[in-house]
Amino acid sequence: MTDEAAIAASNLTKDLVSSFLRKKTRVLENLNLTINRNETFGLLGPNGAGKTTTLKIFVGLMRPTAGQALVLGAPAGDPKALSRIGFLPENPYFYSYLTGREFMEFVASLFGLSRAVRKDRCNELLETVCLSRADADKPMGKYSKGMLQRLGIAQSLINDPDILFWDEPMSGLDPIGRRDVRAILSRLKEQKKTIFFNSHLLPDVNEVCDRVGILNHGKLVAAEKISAISSSGNYKALEEYFLQAVCDTTQT
Amino acid sequence: MPMSSPIRALEAVFALALNTFRETVRDKILYSFVLFAFLISWMSMLLGSLSVGQDARILQDVGLTAISFVGGIIALFAGTNLVYKELERRTIYVIFTKPLRGWHFIAGKFLGLSACILLIVIAMGLFLSFLVLLNYSDHSLAALNAALISVMPPVMLVFLELLFIIAIATFFSTFASPLMSVLYTLSLWLIGHLGDSLRQLGQLSQNGAFAKFSEIVYFILPDLAGLTRIRSSLMYNRNVSPEVIAYITCYVFAYVLILLVLASMVTDRREFQ
Repeated sequence: MTDEAAIAASNLTKDLVSSFLRKKTRVLENLNLTINRNETFGLLGPNGAGKTTTLKIFVGLMRPTAGQALVLGAPAGDPKALSRIGFLPENPYFYSYLTGREFMEFVASLFGLSRAVRKDRCNELLETVCLSRADADKPMGKYSKGMLQRLGIAQSLINDPDILFWDEPMSGLDPIGRRDVRAILSRLKEQKKTIFFNSHLLPDVNEVCDRVGILNHGKLVAAEKISAISSSGNYKALEEYFLQAVCDTTQT
Repeated sequence: MPMSSPIRALEAVFALALNTFRETVRDKILYSFVLFAFLISWMSMLLGSLSVGQDARILQDVGLTAISFVGGIIALFAGTNLVYKELERRTIYVIFTKPLRGWHFIAGKFLGLSACILLIVIAMGLFLSFLVLLNYSDHSLAALNAALISVMPPVMLVFLELLFIIAIATFFSTFASPLMSVLYTLSLWLIGHLGDSLRQLGQLSQNGAFAKFSEIVYFILPDLAGLTRIRSSLMYNRNVSPEVIAYITCYVFAYVLILLVLASMVTDRREFQ
């Protein structure tokens, strides 16, 4: 396994085939991207740019049509890689009749954590994401969007992963929820986790990320350190950078 | 411990089975079907009272048919939604981003649903045994024992048939929509029951191709009509040798295993867009 790159994509290409007419649509084209260990990387892009597809290839839910994706030196989707990552899907919706606690224990079991470790870990994570004991013992069918998002974050941390793949972690959260998620992200950065996430919320990306990449029509059109885009900490510079990158590529 | 370790694999399968069992058993719509079966069984007592000396037989026949029918409906609809529901709700993303293989998922889902159906079938069987006991003039422990012996073994053969339905439904649910899965599963269930009749029809027909086709269908699909005949023999206290029971159990398990292996292969090749 390489020492440097946590995530490496080389010439990553993905075509989607419609099931009926067998029409091919290229959603990702020759993506070359390297994320270093301990780095927090934000992948930005307009709707339909290919951000979620990229994320899904890295976590093994989809396979590339061409090219290669490596996670911690192993092919994306390999059990060796999967045992060391945590994934948060966009707008998570879990099992209606299971309680939050039962769900956490279920996820912990999938990683083979022992019963004693499972219980402590679940309690610790539920507290981290500010889900009360009462809420944790309610069926997830009764959870609000914010509670589901918090639980989604908690389950992605159950195995103390080296890399986190989060798809729109702030999606649907109120300002308090977003503040809490930013605080969790900051803590994870301090723990030297590698974090890869998609988001539309530029202020949050600006605050948390070390580096950003911009995807447009399946191509990586820009990648830069946040410190190089804006020294003032104001997200407006990032917004300008994003719009310029997207507009430039749309016009060409 | 890597997932390749058998213990880890079993733990994962058990976790998935428990998850599936909890989700299924807590679904209230299940209980409306079970209530329906209880009502049918109760009504069969009234039907039996209209007959001349055949009340016990009618009660057992109708009751067992109700258990088979209701159990089949539950197995059909729960089985065909087994994978589809996970896809629709995207809970499958949480599962397949963990170090698991397709067979862990399929085995866990199948075992969880089977455990739920077993619970339901046993509950319905015990209720039918209770009704049979009420029908006896004697309500002693010996009579209870007799009622249980006459009802529960055929009920367990119903469960064996339901295992086959769950396996077919699970297989189709890995790639077809719920509606198509229901249609395919129902079709195979019916053909399984009519396979022998179809073969006899083929032999009587003048069409060689049809005769060949019906022969192939008969040998490929399990003989569910044969299972029903053995079940009836058990119910009417005719001797059925343990070898026959063992054979029929292995027969169904072999089909179940093949279907689950195919379902696992399909799942491993799937992408989750």
